[in-house]
Amino acid sequence: MRSKSMWLKPALILFMAVFVFNAAPLKAETVITLWSHWADHDSKRNFVEGAARAFESANMGMKVKVTWYEKKALYAALKTALRAGQAPDIFYAEPNQIEYLENNMLYDLSKGLNWNNIEGWAKDGWTYKGGVYGFPLEAWTVELYYNKKILAELGFKLPPDNQFNQSEFLDVVKKARTAGITPLALGVGDRPYPGAFLTHEALLKSLGTEDYDKLLKGQLDWGDSRVREALEFVKAVIDAKALPSSFSTLKLGESHFYFHTKPGALMFLMGSFYPSRAFNPTDKGGQPPDFQLGIMQYPALEKGACNNCKTITIGGSYAVNAASKNPDAAVKFLNSLATPEMGNKWLETVLVQTGIKADPSRITGPYASYFQDLAAIDAPCIFYPDLPLGAMHGKAKETFIQVVNQAFPAGLLSVDQVIDKMNALR
Amino acid sequence: MSDTVIKKGSFSLGVRRDLAWPIGAIVSFLLPAMLVYVAFTAYPVLRTLFNSLHQVLPGRPNVFIGAENYIELFKDEFFWQAVKNTLVWACTAPLLEQFLAILLALALYAKIPGARFFRVVWFTPVLMSFVVVGIIWMWIFNYDWGAVNVILRELGLENWIRSWLGDPSTALPSLIFVTTWMWTGFNMVVLLAALHSLPSEVLEAAELDNCSWMKKLWFVMVPLIRPTILNLIVLSFVGKMKVFDLVWIMTKGGPLWSTETVSTYVYKRAFEWSTFDLGYPCSIASVWFIIVLAGVLLLTFLFRQRGKLEY
Repeated sequence: MRSKSMWLKPALILFMAVFVFNAAPLKAETVITLWSHWADHDSKRNFVEGAARAFESANMGMKVKVTWYEKKALYAALKTALRAGQAPDIFYAEPNQIEYLENNMLYDLSKGLNWNNIEGWAKDGWTYKGGVYGFPLEAWTVELYYNKKILAELGFKLPPDNQFNQSEFLDVVKKARTAGITPLALGVGDRPYPGAFLTHEALLKSLGTEDYDKLLKGQLDWGDSRVREALEFVKAVIDAKALPSSFSTLKLGESHFYFHTKPGALMFLMGSFYPSRAFNPTDKGGQPPDFQLGIMQYPALEKGACNNCKTITIGGSYAVNAASKNPDAAVKFLNSLATPEMGNKWLETVLVQTGIKADPSRITGPYASYFQDLAAIDAPCIFYPDLPLGAMHGKAKETFIQVVNQAFPAGLLSVDQVIDKMNALR
Repeated sequence: MSDTVIKKGSFSLGVRRDLAWPIGAIVSFLLPAMLVYVAFTAYPVLRTLFNSLHQVLPGRPNVFIGAENYIELFKDEFFWQAVKNTLVWACTAPLLEQFLAILLALALYAKIPGARFFRVVWFTPVLMSFVVVGIIWMWIFNYDWGAVNVILRELGLENWIRSWLGDPSTALPSLIFVTTWMWTGFNMVVLLAALHSLPSEVLEAAELDNCSWMKKLWFVMVPLIRPTILNLIVLSFVGKMKVFDLVWIMTKGGPLWSTETVSTYVYKRAFEWSTFDLGYPCSIASVWFIIVLAGVLLLTFLFRQRGKLEY
């Protein structure tokens, strides 16, 4: 009996020691879970993963576990997980996802995040009822890229302000088509927005930011004469066969390739995320090394109220789950991203604009000149901070996608039909 | 009916069990399957009906709204467009599939040269997933370099060239064609099995009566395989009423809702309409469940009636 208790005590002490030593680190470690889009965007993944590892090194006992998805799969997973209370601490979101805001699912970042390092328009984009709910990592503008070589071969020269007027632009389109070149690469095979670029940039220029905002929110008649004039200009461009015949089924990635490689197009109306695909090596779908990329302004409308207006939109952002058990740690991680250094790193490595304050003039590397050109083109612009899809919801959004994004540019609808269909939802 | 008194040792337990109704065995055999059925079929169906009468938002109690969703549904033009497209699909594709499947099955039954090879080739599309089929046919229908337009160009039929999936007048027929291509092989195999199981004495009797091949087919073989054809039509009808994957891959319901089906519309309303409310999508699903059920019952009833009359 004595010998039994003699062994029992040390065994118990040993067990306790093992338990305590093993349990202690587990208890101290905080795991921040993050679900993000961009599963197939290497540069963005590398940026976020790199930031996560740096954050872990700087904050002992904290771990960032990132799970990568494609956008649609992520949205479906999040809707289910948020309902079930199983969503991660941080997740990818875009400001047009009003359902998160309406259902109080996002943590208010207005006090926790270092907003001094974030652009004002980017903060505004995530402001809702006095709170700010997203960290705007990615942002982009709608740009009209063109092939300098083809434009010169067609005998055109851009005006000093880089902006053709309405009739000059139509001439360019017609001459390109006559020469057997697709004037404007664009496709809506897998996205609900690129086809609408052509129309909403004309509407924005025709109306100016204030009335354009009213139009998108259903407070202005689509039969307004300025709206009609913008639509008629777009219709003239469409009727001049500006877009590829495969417009309806051409996917976003394919439209990039269509523009810079095969068959090649004169212009490409696209988000300024263009370089994230085009500046890849050619075997990964990038533009040819000798490709002469230029950027011009969308054409000025004859009676345009704001011909230097342009759409800017906040793209991929990170939001903190309102039900997170680690909101402070999650905000701390986002703050590690919200620095000018990280903003510049994002520009240099991801090659897409950001809502973080960055300085393109300090960017080095092979694409420095591109960012300087982009900054110069955007310098005189007044920005409207959202795509129409962000301002619209429900039936209006669905109709806009089907009518303005797809059917109108595809030449399936007249101006009157567009006006009737959009007005029916007001 | 015999009752047995179960005894333990010398004591009667007083329990009278009916061996013809062994409730314990029935329960133990049925319970696992019943649990699975209740959890994964009955409960979701009932929950869908419940949701359709409520506003269902996360983190908030469900709010009873009565028939509000159903009233909105009947005024929803997108829904009716989706219903129209789905019904067109469900009423045409099964007939096309059966017609082609019978022809192919007869060709194999008649042992055409290369029958084994063709049997594999014609059946292969069934083995592919909708995703693969969708991508392949998107390539085939591509305006610039798709096989369809390339062939039309080669044949000098330039006027026929079009964006097959981008034109509202051809998008739905194109999708119907793809499902027909995909499922004809399955129907063919089932019909071929039915043809092979026909009683040889009946066919020989027809031959002795100097029946031509066509007459033998029309008056003997087709009536004998009619139950199989009807079952295949019902199966195909149900499949087409629920079609989702192919539309989602190829057109997402566009252009101008010309390929929107009820299933894609439910998905859009549940996951893409900037709302967490499941009530409205559930009301669509409930109405559609009843319509599909009614359609199947009607078809079954019609086919049975006809069978009785013929008999």
